[in-house]
Amino acid sequence: MPTPHALLVKFPGTNCDNETSRALLEAGFSTEVLPVALLEPGVLSRTQLLVFSGGFSYGDYVMSGRIAQLITKHKLGDKLRSFIDAGGYAMGICNGFQILTQLDLLPRGSLVHNTTGRFICKWAGLKRNASSPYLSELPDDFELPIAHAEGRFVGEEGDAAAYVKDGTAALLYSTDVNGSSERIAGLQDKSGRVFGLMPHPERFTLKRHHYDPDWNQAERGWGHYMFTSVRKAMA
Amino acid sequence: MIDAPKKAVYRHIPLTGLSPDELLAISQRMKLSLSKEDMLAVKAIFAEEKREPTEVELEVIAQTWSEHCKHRIFGAKIEHTVDGKSEVVDGLFKTYIRAVSHRIMDKKPDFVLSAFVDNAGFVKLDENLAVCLKAETHNHPSAIEPYAGANTGLGGVIRDILGAGKGAKPIASLDVFCFGPPDTKQDAIKAKDVIHPLGIMRGVVRGVRDYGNRMGIPTISGAIQFDDSYIYNPLVFCGTMGVIPIKDIDKSIRAGQLLIAAGGRTGKDGLKGATFSSVSLTTASHEEDQTAVQIGNPIEEKKVADFILAARAEGFIQFVTDCGAGGFSSAAGEMLSEIGGQVWLENAPLKAPDLESWQIFLSESQERMVMSIEEKDLERMKELAALYETELCILGKADGTGILKVTHHGEMVCQLDCRKLHEAPRRHMTAEWSSVDDSEGDVFIPIEDAKTGNAILKALLADFAIVSREPIIREYDHEVQGNTLLKPLAGATGDAPQDGAVVRVDGSTQLASMSVALLPEWGKTHPHLMGRACVDECVRQLVAVGSDPDRIAILDNFCMGNPDDHRELGALVETVKGMAVTAEAYGAPFVSGKDSFYNYFKTDEGPVSIPCTLLVSGMGILTNPDHIVGSSVRGPGHKLALVGEASSGLAGSVFARVMKAGAEDDELDFPQGPDFDEQMAFADYHSYHELVKKGVVLSAHDIGEGGLAVTLAEMGFSTKAGLKVDLAEVPTRDDTPAAEHLFGETPGRIVFEFAEEHAEAVKAAGFSIIGETTDDGHVTITNGKTKLVHANLAELKPVWQKGLAEWY
Repeated sequence: MPTPHALLVKFPGTNCDNETSRALLEAGFSTEVLPVALLEPGVLSRTQLLVFSGGFSYGDYVMSGRIAQLITKHKLGDKLRSFIDAGGYAMGICNGFQILTQLDLLPRGSLVHNTTGRFICKWAGLKRNASSPYLSELPDDFELPIAHAEGRFVGEEGDAAAYVKDGTAALLYSTDVNGSSERIAGLQDKSGRVFGLMPHPERFTLKRHHYDPDWNQAERGWGHYMFTSVRKAMA
Repeated sequence: MIDAPKKAVYRHIPLTGLSPDELLAISQRMKLSLSKEDMLAVKAIFAEEKREPTEVELEVIAQTWSEHCKHRIFGAKIEHTVDGKSEVVDGLFKTYIRAVSHRIMDKKPDFVLSAFVDNAGFVKLDENLAVCLKAETHNHPSAIEPYAGANTGLGGVIRDILGAGKGAKPIASLDVFCFGPPDTKQDAIKAKDVIHPLGIMRGVVRGVRDYGNRMGIPTISGAIQFDDSYIYNPLVFCGTMGVIPIKDIDKSIRAGQLLIAAGGRTGKDGLKGATFSSVSLTTASHEEDQTAVQIGNPIEEKKVADFILAARAEGFIQFVTDCGAGGFSSAAGEMLSEIGGQVWLENAPLKAPDLESWQIFLSESQERMVMSIEEKDLERMKELAALYETELCILGKADGTGILKVTHHGEMVCQLDCRKLHEAPRRHMTAEWSSVDDSEGDVFIPIEDAKTGNAILKALLADFAIVSREPIIREYDHEVQGNTLLKPLAGATGDAPQDGAVVRVDGSTQLASMSVALLPEWGKTHPHLMGRACVDECVRQLVAVGSDPDRIAILDNFCMGNPDDHRELGALVETVKGMAVTAEAYGAPFVSGKDSFYNYFKTDEGPVSIPCTLLVSGMGILTNPDHIVGSSVRGPGHKLALVGEASSGLAGSVFARVMKAGAEDDELDFPQGPDFDEQMAFADYHSYHELVKKGVVLSAHDIGEGGLAVTLAEMGFSTKAGLKVDLAEVPTRDDTPAAEHLFGETPGRIVFEFAEEHAEAVKAAGFSIIGETTDDGHVTITNGKTKLVHANLAELKPVWQKGLAEWY
């Protein structure tokens, strides 16, 4: 199959673009990190996967991802929606997920401060709650590192439970790590092509990334399989 | 927006005809921190030129000659007396740091690529890449404003790395703190406005967190010391490691090149930070010196970092340095000191329009970098700055005259021959030290059964010196960049302590390791031994995690109280001498370092100084990811071996502190320091590394604070196995009593786990097999048939794990 192209938007403060690009390359994508200064609708025609990487876009001093969302919307307008409708994929990791939830590409809801009020850097157990092009090569239970201060998903009354039931919440934490409603860790849109998650798949692409030197559940880290999953879905 | 007044604002300060006391009065009024001798030298410079200095010039000289920038105490001639015997130390830095490193570099020609000349020292990683490390302190700002002080402390050292070579990429950070104990009683603090240690700790941790996390640099290594002596003057060390192509290490500036500044704007924040950090703290500092503390903006720094790394990759940067203490004056001063050139202050973008000339030139506003480029590359540099959304200005131009000329709206506000500036008058100082009398030896604490042993082990695991730093570590993103392979917390449950951290380096098959060591308690009574032990511990931890013992480089960061106090300076001299001995024996060169003086506070009841504190931080290289060794046991049925030997001597140990704190009377005395031999230790580290390369070592943990018993417990916190050791199998250097065996902190020791099939190889390497891993979930230490410790790890772990949580 032809090599699909991933375009990673880099805002001031985006800081996981390098390793995310590396993980995508290892999964068979060609990649391009694009400073937001160069973002315009035309770039969408040369990519199949639009990636919003982790970090602290514009410092996240307002609400996490808020400024990045406004600028993206300003620059791309409804062309972003048309890109998805035409079969394009979009993935948001951590800060990228926070941006995606505000871009109306994912069902409504917000990512707010963890109940502890703290930044949390640790590994979290995850459960696949629905089929998704991003999860097809992963088992029902796996783990990935998390690192965020604002990762607690909250929705309007009843939304979270409905998302779990209808599979919009494709990814759940296996235990409560940040106070997220219904332990939601990741969401997808109806098409499945738009996917956002708080955990960092790009940080677990090798066995050696795992904290336990004896970890041996797969040939590579679970994160790698998230990228190969979406790669396969594009074939 | 209000337009800035289009003229220079500056004054002349007449010095002609003034007496030494009047000169000193000027220094004090302007807070220049220049001594009488310094001011006389300044007067002479301008008398020769037959003119009066401007305040800009005086400020530039004060910054250049400040202890912070010039390290005059490490350059001073010191008359040092130990136990009545006198010697003259002709410069601590020259004699015990640079000379040692140069001798090591002569023996290992292809390892250190640059030391002491740039922002950070570089060592060779592979044929194409080099790594560098730099650590700084930010003590006084953190005492006054913990969050902003620590925030900008890390921000500053990251810029040191961005300004190392033609711009190194920051890949990992460390942070080390010394605080007053969290349970300090409020009424024990004998000065107004001093922030309680809890406030300091929370502010400092969040300051580091918010800068490091936003910059996307993993904070992978660190340490915290708690002691009463740090209540008034906490210590905050921040360090960053960088990577750079070897071809981009050498930098030089030529006449005709432009100086450009990029990053944040210049404001009144951070005025006179260098001179501020070169005097002691008082309650008044909390009121008056607020402008010396800068405000951090990590995203501004992230943008300028992205810009510099892109510009370096395109080959546009000829020279780059950070605006450290002294702001543009230090950056331009460094770049133009030999070649000379012009600086145009009106070109600097300002945060507010009303800055006076000296303020623009001296401001330490954060997130600014200065670089030199060829004029032809200016347009492309402007494009890159626009791409990464950072502000760029043309600050000046190198002209080959050897004179630094600073103009502001056409008026000459500073014109100095930089060559004269670098000749600060040399200081002459006096130091003395008396060794403690240890002829009586340590008080004997009998440990004859497991009940006593268990109780002491639990007390040590719960002590602030040893409890898990997990609540703090989790606030730092230690995995961003996706390269952290050995994490600060690891093992089967991801929460057990490790000896150091290991990161992959993009573009190389080699890996970099990082570790830190500091033992200030030892320095109170045994500074020479502290110097030796800090170097040993840092190197030993790097070796334990799998680094090649021949490819380790270290940094020395000193903090002390009042250098004019002979005894305090004596402790420093002893520490430096001790450190030099071990570094030379281990062939571990110092590649960079920094010192911080005047860490004392004038309380209502007199001055309180910190103990002489040495932080040794190190970087190591692993040739292969298979060599990574964690500190958590891997499973039952394996054997345990010991590198090194036990010895008597509990001075400075956590055990001694806990025993003294729990004693009814003041009679408990532990004057004797432990004994170790560097030649033997380093030979052992080589033998150990050979086993690592053969894949024999499954896990390893150094014996440090809390001794063998704490080491074994920590190895067991992975929950995969228990550990059982027989002291009868442990080699000793003397008639070591049980307490020393269990809880003594003799340097040079590592416990490691291996599979029984390798027993012959381990013995052949000269190591004693001291025990095994078990499936009973206990840590058990026997002396022959007598059990001295037998404790359930499931009970010990929460004691250790939760000790800090309730305070943070």
